[in-house]
Amino acid sequence: MAGPLAPTWTPETTSDERSELDRPWVTVVWNDPVNLMTYVTFVLQELFGYDEATATALMLQVHHDGRAVVSSGPRERMEHDTSRLHAYGLWASYQRDS
Amino acid sequence: MRPFRAARSGELVARLEAAEAGILGLLLDQLEQLLTADLDDVGDDPVLSRLFPDGHRSDPEMAADYRELTESSLRSAKADDLAMVRASLPAEGGEVRLDADQAGAWLRTTNDLRLALGTRLDISEETEPPDEVAGEEDQQLAVYYWLTAVQGSLVDALVAARPGRR
Repeated sequence: MAGPLAPTWTPETTSDERSELDRPWVTVVWNDPVNLMTYVTFVLQELFGYDEATATALMLQVHHDGRAVVSSGPRERMEHDTSRLHAYGLWASYQRDS
Repeated sequence: MRPFRAARSGELVARLEAAEAGILGLLLDQLEQLLTADLDDVGDDPVLSRLFPDGHRSDPEMAADYRELTESSLRSAKADDLAMVRASLPAEGGEVRLDADQAGAWLRTTNDLRLALGTRLDISEETEPPDEVAGEEDQQLAVYYWLTAVQGSLVDALVAARPGRR
């Protein structure tokens, strides 16, 4: 940026810090041996409004990979999503996107 | 048990034997005791850790904040669900007939009961139903798989009853 409003100095942000700030938060569902596959799919549709194909794909990702990101956004919303999943007994947590 | 199915009215209907209703009643009592117990006595119970998991896995401070923010409302929601299931359970067995709210309560509470039993029995993805019920652990395992059938039929009935699926 040039002109009278251009900053006279640039904050020294390392690329690590910058990516730390830019990365969104995500809600992750983890695999567990109790929750039924049909139930997990049902809950993902119920809570996030996913269509059946999307919810099924996420459920299968949880089952095969051990985890899946089911939502992303500001931290407060991810806390809220996590608690809604906990209310249904899904094993969920929130974190910065990795 | 006659598994859940969606009635034309939209209600979810099943039938429980007297013994099944009795077992479910006892399990509800046990879950209620755990949910209302003094945390100083049961704070490190693995079942409670599973019913109220950490919200953040690697940052204990954030996990504590999350717990502070959510645990009491999660706890009271579970207590409300449990009361609704108890009120719609025929104590002597018979027909169970649920509206959408009650079905949600049954779904979450039977899941909590499966999580609780599953944690106590150390269920893994390789665990199989017992061929014959020899000891107490087999009995609990049989109850776990019975709950799985109850909850599974309720999920299937709810999915089948969804608008656009018929």
